[in-house]
Amino acid sequence: MVLCMVVGCAKPPAHSEIRMALAQAPLTLDPRYATDAASERINRLIYRPLVDFDAHSHPIPLLANWQQTDALHYRFTLGQSGRLFHDGTTLTAADVVATYVSLLALKDSPHTAEFANISDVQARNDDVVEFTLRVPDSQFPARLIIGIMPARLIARHHDFARQPIGSGSLQLMGWKRTVRLQRISDHQQIVLEEVRDPTVRVLKLLRGEVDMLQGDLPPELVSYLKQQNGISVEEVAGTNFSYQGFNLQDPLLKNPLVRRAVTLAVDRNAILQHMLIGGSRAATAILPPEHWAGNAALPAYPYDPVQARSLLLQAGIKLPLKLVYKTSTDAQRVRLATVMQAQMRASGIDLEIRSLDWGTFFDDIKQGHFQLYGLTWVGIKTPEIYRLAFHSASIPPKGANRGHLQDAELDELIDRADWQAVTARAHELLPYVPLWYEGQFAAMRKDIVGYTPAADGNWDGLAVVARRKLNDKD
Amino acid sequence: MSFAIKRVWGVLPVVFGVLLLTFLLVHLVPGDPVEVMLGDSATSGDRAQLRAELGLDQPLAVQFCNYLKHIAHGDFGRSIHQHADISTLIAERVPATFKLALLALAIALLMGLPLGIAAALHHLHWPDRFATLSALTLSAMPHFWLGPLLMLVFSLWLGWLPISGMESKASIVLPALTLACGLAAILTRMTRASLLETLNEDYVRTARAKGLPERLVILRHALKPALLPVVTVVGLQLGSLLAGAVITETVFGWEGIGRLLVESIEKRDYPVTQACVLVISLSYVVINLLTDLAYGRLDPRTESGH
Repeated sequence: MVLCMVVGCAKPPAHSEIRMALAQAPLTLDPRYATDAASERINRLIYRPLVDFDAHSHPIPLLANWQQTDALHYRFTLGQSGRLFHDGTTLTAADVVATYVSLLALKDSPHTAEFANISDVQARNDDVVEFTLRVPDSQFPARLIIGIMPARLIARHHDFARQPIGSGSLQLMGWKRTVRLQRISDHQQIVLEEVRDPTVRVLKLLRGEVDMLQGDLPPELVSYLKQQNGISVEEVAGTNFSYQGFNLQDPLLKNPLVRRAVTLAVDRNAILQHMLIGGSRAATAILPPEHWAGNAALPAYPYDPVQARSLLLQAGIKLPLKLVYKTSTDAQRVRLATVMQAQMRASGIDLEIRSLDWGTFFDDIKQGHFQLYGLTWVGIKTPEIYRLAFHSASIPPKGANRGHLQDAELDELIDRADWQAVTARAHELLPYVPLWYEGQFAAMRKDIVGYTPAADGNWDGLAVVARRKLNDKD
Repeated sequence: MSFAIKRVWGVLPVVFGVLLLTFLLVHLVPGDPVEVMLGDSATSGDRAQLRAELGLDQPLAVQFCNYLKHIAHGDFGRSIHQHADISTLIAERVPATFKLALLALAIALLMGLPLGIAAALHHLHWPDRFATLSALTLSAMPHFWLGPLLMLVFSLWLGWLPISGMESKASIVLPALTLACGLAAILTRMTRASLLETLNEDYVRTARAKGLPERLVILRHALKPALLPVVTVVGLQLGSLLAGAVITETVFGWEGIGRLLVESIEKRDYPVTQACVLVISLSYVVINLLTDLAYGRLDPRTESGH
């Protein structure tokens, strides 16, 4: 008590910057290495890539327009906007070439393999870059989402991980404990602070130590925040896809009747209504219906414990069917698993939950040491995800077909890029239980305006967010 | 002097054991850093090449020898995920952890010693009951619960202190208080038990029989020997504070070495995990060594082998 009185300060210090609490700090601000959500979201603000996506996930020009000159050649022409690096130099075709050449030369980047199809990249002049591919790829422009970095600094092996220089709408001012950014247009400072504990994030928002937070809160804390004066909560429909994966090598789960029974044993609507935040919706495929390759015609699997039980008996299973479900130690994931465990009991399924630390859990999934597991695909933009997740050539370690699905018809549909048919076939084969697209939300103090959470959880709204002066009546 | 040399020599096998165990534990748990680094799209060739570059394709014994060689040169390597020099990462975090641990220890001593002494001197009366109940309550509260409770009271309701972070000097108070509570409970009970035992010793009875005032009997004859076991507990607990502040550092956003360790384990950042465990273990070993040496000075019988 005495210490508190000695050092105590009555109110949180007034701040002109906009402070946002993050569940996890970024690991690296070098876009050639970043894979964690926080790094990728900040890099979108610091750097500009050649290409971005519209609301239907069609690739659209950001730094450059493109033209496919033949099956193996793409020509990108840089536009006039967004071409000033934060160090004052102009972004040219040479910078684009240097960025992609340096990425291809890296041996320890998780992104290098995605660009292995590039055989050559050349600058024709200051504004034009030409990419040559090894094999035709109709999705190629959609892959060019790596932020462009200055060639001069790449040559000097500049530490982009901690001192990024890009041409995005925000520039890094400092990164020690907190990430301090400054908006180029109006010099508004934005501070990103890691606060790992969800309860502490909420307390800091209530006290005014931070001005906003987005996502990563359990639903009951979101509901609590909605009831607080001085806090506004905005929810939007999400696109990140949650599912239960099956191991198709398992003697029980390789039977389609059993997979169908497990799918019918989950009451998605009850979970959506009681366990998830607003904006969450039932899913039928990895890509949502509004995606250009989405399939709105797919019917949702209903909750039908009677039929589930009858399918299990038809498959010759002696009830109860014992299955093991693996998940991470995240409290919300464990809670959802517990609810599904209770729901499945009505269908004669005895689900054992194993909650493992992330490294062990993910390693088990990659090694195929599971019967059922729960995961979420985050930030997926292209239908190439179906190749990565379902093609027989993508069985780990060659890809993310973790359930070891092998279906010649599906492979052929993927190779033909017939995405409607691919989703329909996957819906029929059930290599997973499609669960839901998680909603997104942002909670802000009432003086924060202009910020809208994005469907994939990105923080692009920081490029426009502002603080307004509150009137007495506010 | 020979006692000190013997103790220092005794520490060397412990340090080697720590190095070996850390290395083995980190390498034998499930999870492959190459898989984590390269993601799902990499080819087998890419994985093999990176594994070779990181030396992970070598037999464990060879990897351990290389590890020892690098450690001997003070080179902890580079973080797999942060792409930063590990020595720099550790150097940034260690002072914060030490500062927090020392303040927590100071608060715990200020709380625990007076309470323990009061309890022993008023055995079975209200100060004793108050101290015992307080110690029981404090030791029963886990850090992940006590931390947010203190935040609620001192930050949100009273508005005296920042909730978390490290941006103001006052930020250290709540995490230090959280850590101190459990330690204060141990010190209270230890001091009480030790002083009660000492007060029944013959030499204390003799001092009283000589007609010394009670205050002098306690200060000169009872307190010093009663505090000897407390010194051991303080040493051990300081080591635990350095290693065990993980939860408190996470809850309060205190960027110490415990938090760095947890983050590195989650991401299978082997070199950082090894370096953190090594630094924490060595701190523990050094503090215990200093405690032993201090104990020897306070009680010469220890040095002479009695």
